Amino acid sequence: MAQRSGPGQAALPRRGEMRRKNVRIAYLTILPVIVILLAVKAYPIIATIYRSFTNWNGLYQNDFVGLANYKEFFGSGLFMVLFKNNLVLLLSVPLQVIIGLIVAVLLYEHVPGWKAFRAIYYIPQIISLVILGYLFKSMFSLDGPVNQVLESLGLGHLAKEWLADGSTALPIMVGCITWYSIGWQTIVILGGMSSIDPCVFEAARLDGANFFQRTFKIVLPMITSVITYCIVMAVVWTFTSLFSLIYSMTGGGPGYETMTLDYMIYEKSFVTGSQLGMACTISVVLFVIIMIITAAEMKLSNMAEKKWG
Amino acid sequence: MGLTVMAKQHNPTQKFWRTFGRVVIFIILLILAISFLYPLYYMLINSLKSLSGYYVDPFGLPSEKLQWQNFATMISQFKILKLFGNSFIISFFTVLGLVAFGTVASFSFAKVDFKGKGGVYMAILATLFVPAQVTMIPMYISFAKVGLVDSYFGVILAYWAMFLPETIMLMTANFKSIPNELIEAATIDGCGYFGRLRNVVMPMGWPAISLSIIFFFICSWNDLFTPMVLLKSMDKRTVMVALSSLIGRYTGDPPYQYAGLLMSAIPALAVYAVFQKSIVKGMSMGAIK
Repeated sequence: MAQRSGPGQAALPRRGEMRRKNVRIAYLTILPVIVILLAVKAYPIIATIYRSFTNWNGLYQNDFVGLANYKEFFGSGLFMVLFKNNLVLLLSVPLQVIIGLIVAVLLYEHVPGWKAFRAIYYIPQIISLVILGYLFKSMFSLDGPVNQVLESLGLGHLAKEWLADGSTALPIMVGCITWYSIGWQTIVILGGMSSIDPCVFEAARLDGANFFQRTFKIVLPMITSVITYCIVMAVVWTFTSLFSLIYSMTGGGPGYETMTLDYMIYEKSFVTGSQLGMACTISVVLFVIIMIITAAEMKLSNMAEKKWG
Repeated sequence: MGLTVMAKQHNPTQKFWRTFGRVVIFIILLILAISFLYPLYYMLINSLKSLSGYYVDPFGLPSEKLQWQNFATMISQFKILKLFGNSFIISFFTVLGLVAFGTVASFSFAKVDFKGKGGVYMAILATLFVPAQVTMIPMYISFAKVGLVDSYFGVILAYWAMFLPETIMLMTANFKSIPNELIEAATIDGCGYFGRLRNVVMPMGWPAISLSIIFFFICSWNDLFTPMVLLKSMDKRTVMVALSSLIGRYTGDPPYQYAGLLMSAIPALAVYAVFQKSIVKGMSMGAIK
């Protein structure tokens, strides 16, 4: 006993010392991340909020104007124009989630080659939205292939510059975004479905449930948390990540017909160049909208978990 | 007895409908797959056509001599290989930093108890949903003050800030599943902090690390907004920035445009072709968007 306690006692302080050393190293390891995020994320957010109350133009003009930018942004109707475009683009979210769910259920049947199909569906996500945007643009241009098909079908009178017309540009973009996102939705939903017991499907099939009953009455309720995740990611993504697509397809035009909140920040600050204060105001509004969506998501997914487990 | 007979009678028709259903599903999936591959095919066939060939029939295969000079011009005039080099430098160092900062920090978050861990971790994740546009203006102004505008490092630093939260979320979740016993065993064998990192965490957490490498390489390769705002001089531009100005100048020559678009897409697609399995597997966990 005495012999045993010897090394044990000697080891104890060594252990404590090592723990302290580990903690010291742990602080050192997270330090670079904290410094980078403070300098390039946290500080700019605070600066953006402060500047949103000024008439800053990037040069000499930087006076505190209170809520004037916000009043102008909401009062002039600009907010509603941009927000309406954002909302139209959001129509893509239900489309991509429903199609993604159906495709995931089809892939779940594990027909020959389903793994190859799954890999192919993800390809659009690998190609830059800049490239896809220009591709779509040339397809829908006046002498592009879409109009050629229309002419060959005898519908030549319908041919037009599709993206130069606000009433067609936005719906076309909704279609493109949906097409682009199906692969991601499918793979994530399919990943969520892998936790469902295969017996459930077999039982449903034996009970005579058809494809749509199986999809929407059995699969859907069992993966609500995955679906909420998919919806929220897609909504936030649609609000924040469409810059490349809008830039290459329409540049926000014609007029403001395809201009969204996030694109307007770029337009006000780096194109027209002088309204940095206003651009910061729009940034804050966009930021608040995204915060609300994320908070709502957390509430919803908690509710969903309570209801369906 | 009766039951078996009935089952035997039912089986062929049931089997037929089962097979029929699977054939229908296969056809639907195939059509969908073609719709996702078609744009690549479309760019390829049209990039090899002459201008008149394109306007006569944009859907058919090239009927005349293949116009390889569209690609040759891309390389000789547009210097697309130099642009690939620029993009590669930025993507490479972005990923290098993400892995260097990400693995050590995630190891600490996953396996070391220290004061304030939960709070710091939540604060890092909270920056996940901050869009790039929101921080760009003050960032640009401060970068201009310290000479980071028009430098590769400025773009790389911006990407680190943009992608580190996701990297850490992904890696920490993965590192947590490494058994503590393995780490303790390495400690007993005399491994220090970085020894444990190299001998246990790196090999065990490789799925998360490799997914971060591939995914964020592709992300930074494809991005337009950050390099377009931060890089000014022509010889530093990334391929996506250069492409966007090129396309604007050659709206009258779609085959030439398609050659550029296709070539710019190839590097990311090649990375995907090689690492497709680990990307799909990582995505299935719903790890990143």
